[in-house]
This record gives sequence, structure tokens and C-alpha cells, in this order.
Amino acid sequence: MSRPKIAALILMPCLLFLCSLFLGPKAINPVGLSEIEREILVQIRLPRVLVAFLMGMALGASGAVLQGVLRNPLADPYILGISSGASLTAALGIIGGLTFLGAFTVPVLAFIGAIVTGSIVGAMGWKRGGLWPERLLLAGVGLSFLFSALLMLMMSISTDEGLRRAMLWIFGDLSMSEWQRVPYGLLFVMAGMALSVTRAKALNALILGDEFAHSLGFAPQRERSILFVSVGLMTAASVSLGGMIGFIGLLMPHIMRFFVGSDSRMLIPASAVGGGSLLCIADLVSRSVLPPMELPAGVITAIIGAPYFLYLLRRKHVLSF
Amino acid sequence: MSSVSRPNLLELAGVSYSYEKGRPFIHDLSFTVGEGDFIGLLGANGSGKSTIMKVASGLLRPSSGSVLLWGKDLAATRHKDRAKLISYLPQTLDISVPFTIRELVAMGLYPYDIPPAMSVDEALEMVGLTDKADAHLTDLSGGERRRTFIAMTLLQGAGLLMLDEPLANLDIKYQIELVRLLRKLRASRNISVVMALHDINIALQFEKVMLIKEGNLIGSGPPEAVLSRAMLKQAFDVDVDIRRPGNEGVSISYESQF
Amino acid sequence: MSYTVSAAGPALPPARIVSLSPSTTEILFALGAGERIIGVTNYCDYPEEAKRKSKIGGMSNPSLEAVVSLKPDLVVMTTDGNPKEFEELLHTLHIRTFVFTARRIADLPQGIRELGAALLVRERAEALAKEMEHALARLGSGVKGHGPGKEKILYIIWPEPLIVAGPGTAMDDAITLLGRKNIASSASSAYPKYSLEEVLRQAPDVILIGKGSGMDMVEVSRGILKRMTSVPAVRNNNVCYLSDGLYRLGPRVVRGIEELAECLDRRSPR
Repeated sequence: MSRPKIAALILMPCLLFLCSLFLGPKAINPVGLSEIEREILVQIRLPRVLVAFLMGMALGASGAVLQGVLRNPLADPYILGISSGASLTAALGIIGGLTFLGAFTVPVLAFIGAIVTGSIVGAMGWKRGGLWPERLLLAGVGLSFLFSALLMLMMSISTDEGLRRAMLWIFGDLSMSEWQRVPYGLLFVMAGMALSVTRAKALNALILGDEFAHSLGFAPQRERSILFVSVGLMTAASVSLGGMIGFIGLLMPHIMRFFVGSDSRMLIPASAVGGGSLLCIADLVSRSVLPPMELPAGVITAIIGAPYFLYLLRRKHVLSF
Repeated sequence: MSSVSRPNLLELAGVSYSYEKGRPFIHDLSFTVGEGDFIGLLGANGSGKSTIMKVASGLLRPSSGSVLLWGKDLAATRHKDRAKLISYLPQTLDISVPFTIRELVAMGLYPYDIPPAMSVDEALEMVGLTDKADAHLTDLSGGERRRTFIAMTLLQGAGLLMLDEPLANLDIKYQIELVRLLRKLRASRNISVVMALHDINIALQFEKVMLIKEGNLIGSGPPEAVLSRAMLKQAFDVDVDIRRPGNEGVSISYESQF
Repeated sequence: MSYTVSAAGPALPPARIVSLSPSTTEILFALGAGERIIGVTNYCDYPEEAKRKSKIGGMSNPSLEAVVSLKPDLVVMTTDGNPKEFEELLHTLHIRTFVFTARRIADLPQGIRELGAALLVRERAEALAKEMEHALARLGSGVKGHGPGKEKILYIIWPEPLIVAGPGTAMDDAITLLGRKNIASSASSAYPKYSLEEVLRQAPDVILIGKGSGMDMVEVSRGILKRMTSVPAVRNNNVCYLSDGLYRLGPRVVRGIEELAECLDRRSPR
């Protein structure tokens, strides 16, 4: 890794972070803030940009880890059914009138649903004393279909307009970001990052296969389980922070391979930083192009990211073939 | 029987292994590997060669019997310590992530907190891949790919190399090249090699061969002794001709079977 | 103003009517045609009798089979929520349709007249339309001399994520009729997801919160209102929780506007 690249990976996110903080439907000049501008900056934009960055980080990093754990370049954090489980639990909570935590209810329910779903997928992927990538993948896909179907069923049967509206967040929504979400988001995303970055060597070895991982001095099943937990934590946190945002988890790791190579020790943090930056900038665009209306950030993420990714795909070594 | 003053590098005693309960795949297998041994593991497809290597390298736990590495239970050895003594190179090398050759070889250092004497460059040099260091696996020939992982294994510094069919899908040229490389390394670094094989003629190049049939060791010793017409018929269910054209050379042919 | 009656004018008044939207159901009942309704959508819950009618599915996905099996001689549809293809399907099965096209409050009386013509209850429809026109005129008359855009209103449809009533909605019409300014009227869609920071910047004087069926809106809105404490509406406690009167373009719209007016007058007498 060359110095300019490392510098770019540190400076770019900072720049984009500041851009999304001070630009928007109306640019805010940090010098000489009016009362209202100060409130918008501190109470609305800052938590929102932080949540967007955390969420993007979680998606980028968990995508990089999961593609290695499952040995599948098409793995996306949502493939494990974690997001479907989160939305189902949130919907059940809303129908059941659970409002025990006030504004926190939906994120907390979503987080619980995500963790429970992750655990079920883990349990179903478990056989002969270990987690098996194919089993995990299929269990995740199966569970995802089941939970989405149950959610659709609930939505179809219910004549409740409120439920439909209350579930809009699941398709990616950062407009509800507030300061209270930052600490727990930070906690779980950082825990997942720490867990996966400290296991990055093992992840590299697991990408080569369990035999290699064993030969290189790792216990493949233990390492895979730990990495799976880190993916679960980060994905659950991201869904609970702002629903589902596509593209980042699947494609940010591939984009970052161009810049930092495939070594997970660099790829995980780089995908995190890249994911965070992309979501920040996508959210900035989504709230700035048609003010006072806000567009779904997930749409913008893909519109910005996909053409760039396709351009990169024309060059070699996105995949090994 | 001489008293054992020093334990063997690797010793399997009465090892059985079953993938499914009650249906052992490997039966009561015992053998030893000494320092500097060059052993060919020969047997038909599905005879259990890979399973034996996986059990012997600790990847699979034996259902019964013991695997001892320098006299100590392999399963009780710390993973990182084990990796410094024994390395296993699997048969299939399908890797979906575009690591560079240098990145792959450098993974040989993973068991070490303090890097050992050999550097990545030296390992690449040894297998002749210095100018391919920044290439990707897909840019390399089959022989170069094998050499990449041999370099990783060398950097890992283990005294015992368990190689599962490293010659599969290689042209004869690369097969010869790889065997010569391993011999050279044995001379310079005193490594031991256990290699699963298909080709009976290549097995003749080893000092010791073990003939496997249906999870049983049916013969073990110098190739001239083990690879008899009768034994090969038993192991492969093929009639072969054994020729001794010169004073020393032996060749085994099975043209008459086509 | 256009509407379609697929076949030539009926000799007999339709006797077996299926209504494909809650608003047309309410109008049909108001026109005294309740007895003749044989099928309604799952969402038709007003008046009370509507709940006891056969259900034919949702607005956007009515069941063709359910409709056909009721053997209707008229299916009343709306351009605001029913798929156009469904009308064509019904025509291929030779089922007569009436399509209700009014989408704004001002168009409603005329729409009622046309529906009344199709049902052969012209007098009743004329009376209802007249009554409505008078009510609208009365409600709008109080605003003379009250410059538009003076008092800024935000009509919240759903608080999290923040969805508000934008241009072209009955809510927007009602706010304009009452001489106030809907801050979201410049948005580019009818029910936009609205920027929270724009709400702070535009500082509405009154916030109206619509009814979400089955949800306690006071509870659900708590979070968003807490984040709007600097907005005059919230600071001065000018927040009203309204019924769903304006959500359905039918006879209850008048009541919905009155309710809105009461809220505005209570908070800030004109």
C-alpha cells in the first residue's frame, strides 16, 4: 500500500463527511451561524451524517467479511435474512402496539429481530461442530424468503395504512437519525469492526479454504464463527440504524479491492471507510436534489455506485476470473 | 527392537476415521514419518489418500487411534505451534478472491508473531516466481500456481510437508520440475514430504511408497518392493507390465490394457 | 371534466353495485344507494353498514373473481387508486363501470352529480352537491382580506419517516381554502417524504397530524415533535390531531375542513 493511497483513504472520507454536513438543501456557512442554522447543524445534520457514516461502514465491512466467510463474491450482508428478520419483528411490534421504548421501539425491535435471525441462521448452518458456508448461505436465503413472505402476508391482510407507513423505514431511511442512535450504533459497529479486523489474517486464510486455514495455524470453525458474529453485529446495527441500503455491502468490497488489494487487513477497514463515505454522499444528494422532498438514499447509492462499479468491472481482477 | 530414544516426526498408531458413524473410511492405520523421509502415497480414486493426509495433518480428528507429532498428541498441540511443524497443501486450489502471488505467499508467515529468517522474496526466489510476485493466480500456469503454494508452505517453515496430489493437472515438465524442487529443498532444508500420487511411475522416484486400498494400508516400503504386479493388481485392479530396461531403472506400463 | 359510462344510458337504475374505493362507497351511501351496494373493498369501513358488505379485496388489487361472482350491474371505480387495467378487464366481461375522476375538493360536487346521473338519483345528488358547494363557499368566505401565505401550516400524514400532505391533495386544498399556506405545497409529489431541516427552516405556525388507522398518533408523533421544539407550532402548542375526514374525497370532506378550521380558529382566531 502506497502512502498516497492511505492518505486518500483518510482524507477523502473526512472531506465527504464535512461536505455532507455543511451542504444540503441549503448550504450552511460554519462561520457566523444563525440560531436556526446551529440547530439544524447540531440536532439534525450531525447525527444524520454520523448515522449514515456508521451504517455505510457497517455494510461495507460486513460485506467484505461475509464474502470471505462464505467464499462467495456475490454475498451481501442482507443475504443472511437478517434484514427480513429485523423488519418482521419491527412490524410485529408495531401491530402488537409495543411502544415500550418510545422512539427507540422500532430500532430496538429491529435489532432484536436481526440478532435472533442471525442466530437461527447460525444454528441452521451448524453441523458436525462447525459452520458451513453453503449451509449458512442456504439457511439465510431460505429464512429471508420465509420472513419476507410473512411480512408481505401481514401487509396484505392488514388494512392498516399506519403499518404500511411505519414500515417505510425498512427500505432505507436516514431521516429519522437522531443523537440517541449514535452511541449504540457506534458500539455495535465498532465491536464488529474490532472483531473482524483482529481476525483479518484468519479471514484471508479462510478465503483460501478450510484446509489452508488449518494448515496456516487457525481453527477454521472457531474463526468462522467469530467472523460470523461480527457480520451479525454490524448488519443488525446497520438495519436498526436505517433499514436496508443496497449496493454497499455487495459491491463496496469489490471496488475497494482495486485500491487496496484483497488482503482483508486492509480491505475490511477500506470497505468500511468507502461504505461510510458513499452513504454520506448519497444521503447528501438524496436530501439536496429535490428539496424539500427527500429521495430514498438507497436509490442514490446505487445510481452513484453502480456505473462506477461497472466501469471498474471492465478492467481486470474484480474477481479472480 | 531398538529402544526409541527420539520420537518420530509423525506417528499414526491404529488410526481409524469415519465420515458417517459406524462406517469407517480408514481402518486401523499405522505408519511413521521420519525426518527427511520422501514418501509417496499411492492408491486408486477414493481409496482414502486425502482422508489419511487430513487426519495425519490434524484437519480431521481420528475416530480412534492416535496421531503423534514429535511424540505429542497432534490434537492437543496449539494450532500455531502445529502450523510451524506441519503444513498441508490441499488438492484443489480454487480461490475466488484476486490475491496477488506475493499476498498468497506471505500468508505462510501467519503462524509467526516474529517473522522467521526467510523472507517472502526468498521464498519466491526459491520457487522461481520472483518476477510474478504482483501477478494474480489466474495469470499463472498450473505449474506456477502449485509453486506459489509450495512457496507459501516453505515460508511457513514446517519440517513436514503433506501435499495432496500436487502433480494433478500438471504437464510432465512441471511434474518433474516440482519433484526436483522438493528434492533440492530436502537436501538444503531437511524437510520431509508425504505426497499423494496417481502416477505409478512417479512413485518409483520416491524412497518409500505406501499403497492404499479402501482405507487400508496394503503395502509399505521401497517402491521396487511394494509396486509388484500382484500388489498393483490388488490396489488398482489393473494388470501392469514391470520392465527393467537398464541396470537400475524400472518402468511400469499398462499399454496392453487399452 | 370527463367520466365514462361504458354502455348506453341505462333504462333501469343499477341495482347491484360494487364500489372499489372507500370514498366512492361513502358517496354511494350518502346518495341513498347503500342498499344497492353488494360489494366493497377491504378498506371500506364507513359508514358502519359498509363493513357488513361482501369484500372484494384491496383498492390496487381487487379480486376480479370476487367482483364477477357478485354479478354486479355497475362497478364504481376511481382514478385515484384503482388500476386502469381492471376497468378494461371488466369491460371485456361486459360489466358496466363508472369511473369517478374527481381528485380535488373543488371537483367533488360535480363528480357527485355525475355519479348521481349514472345511478338515476339526480335530485339526491344535486342536493348533496349543492349542500357541499354551499359549505365550501361558507368555509372559504371567512378568509376574505386574509392574505394567503400568512399562516404557515404543515399537515403530517405520518411522522416517522416524515410524510406530509403536498400539492394536489385534499389537505392542501383545505388549507388553501381556509386562507393558510401549506409549507409543503411546493414539493414535487403529493405525499413527499419531507426534509426535517426544511421544516425547521420554514417554521410552520400550526402542525396538523392526520389519523393513522389503528395507531395512536399522539404516541407515534412524540419523537418527531420533540425534534421540532424550535418550530413555532410546537413551541406554542399549536398541534392538532385530526380525523381521516380529508383522506377520502367524499361527503365527509366538509366535516374534515370544518375540523381543520376549528383547530386553526381555536389556535389563532381569524
